[in-house]
Amino acid sequence: MVRLADLPEYERQHLLAKNLPALTPAAWTAPSKPLSDMRFALLTTAGLHYRDAENFAFADASYRPLQIADDSRELVMSHSSVNFDRAGFVEDVNVVFPYDRFRELVDAGTIGGLSEVHYSFMGAGLLPQMYAQSAAEVAGLLKQEAVDAVFLTPV
Amino acid sequence: MRENTVALRPPRALWVSFPLGRPLGVPGDAAFQHRVIAAGLSLLQAPSGPVLEDHTEDMPPGWVGNETGSACPVEFAQPARVPDSWTGRLSAELQQLVPWYELSLRRRDRTTFGLAGLEMRQIVHHLGRLLDGSDTEVGDLRSFKYMLEDAKAYYTEALTARPGVHPPDAVAQWLYKDSCLGQGIVTLYHRFAADPATAGFARIVSPRVALGHTTGDDQIDRPEGER
Repeated sequence: MVRLADLPEYERQHLLAKNLPALTPAAWTAPSKPLSDMRFALLTTAGLHYRDAENFAFADASYRPLQIADDSRELVMSHSSVNFDRAGFVEDVNVVFPYDRFRELVDAGTIGGLSEVHYSFMGAGLLPQMYAQSAAEVAGLLKQEAVDAVFLTPV
Repeated sequence: MRENTVALRPPRALWVSFPLGRPLGVPGDAAFQHRVIAAGLSLLQAPSGPVLEDHTEDMPPGWVGNETGSACPVEFAQPARVPDSWTGRLSAELQQLVPWYELSLRRRDRTTFGLAGLEMRQIVHHLGRLLDGSDTEVGDLRSFKYMLEDAKAYYTEALTARPGVHPPDAVAQWLYKDSCLGQGIVTLYHRFAADPATAGFARIVSPRVALGHTTGDDQIDRPEGER
């Protein structure tokens, strides 16, 4: 996201300091079916949850399930970082959680289906390895839902 | 950040040039968002990985910079008759914002306010007393953080209540530079940053863009034993 050249020098330095070693072991799974047969789930690190769920803590590797049967108008954001724009989310949830767009792709037959449950993490304050247990849990839950692929929106 | 993704080497990634916090780009523009998604889904066709592609479409003109097509709905320059205290100024500012927040509720049929479980006037009262020094107890930092986030959500919804293009930089300018709330948040940042026990917490009080400098990498919630 965003071009380094568009940022002031202090911001460039801050963000470049976040470069981390490559994820290992390298993962690569080729799709075994066409897109029109694949079932998708959405993952976001936007710190989204429903209003009556527990807010995320400042540094928090847990996750919140987002049931599609619930009302997306009740989604709130308790992301601890203050260094990103929230006005886009205020205007349109799809800017960080493109649920309506994926429903439209299902209706158009572009993708095969959509999971009943999606997942939200809060992407701040912790190194990637701190999310290992939660990520493994979510991977298991996605398999139970017969999900073929996830679309991840990082915030 | 493209550079971060190059280093991390996830299996499939689409780089977009949009501001942080807007991975799908333009709010309310389904066609724009579908083009981003289509580019992402096309990565599934790559024969091997890791694959990092650059999305070729930027935010449309009008969404970049701090020039907005519509003026800020609130006059932040305080008239002389407004009380000198933070509490008085914040209360006067809230009075101006209420009708715009209510317009936002009607237009959007939702609000992102509500993490702290308090009403906006209670949050303004607490912030005002803290800034005025009549109340020196911040209280539980988590609860305080949710109050700040609610205050910013309320302002953001009110300031962008009118339909139209609201570039992220313009909203940040109104919120952090022009409003009394933003000036209060920066003041509180400096208070927290000056105390070693809360220096880490200061990083999640004010954005770097409001300060014009980095806020370091101190732990946000340092364990008790390390304070």
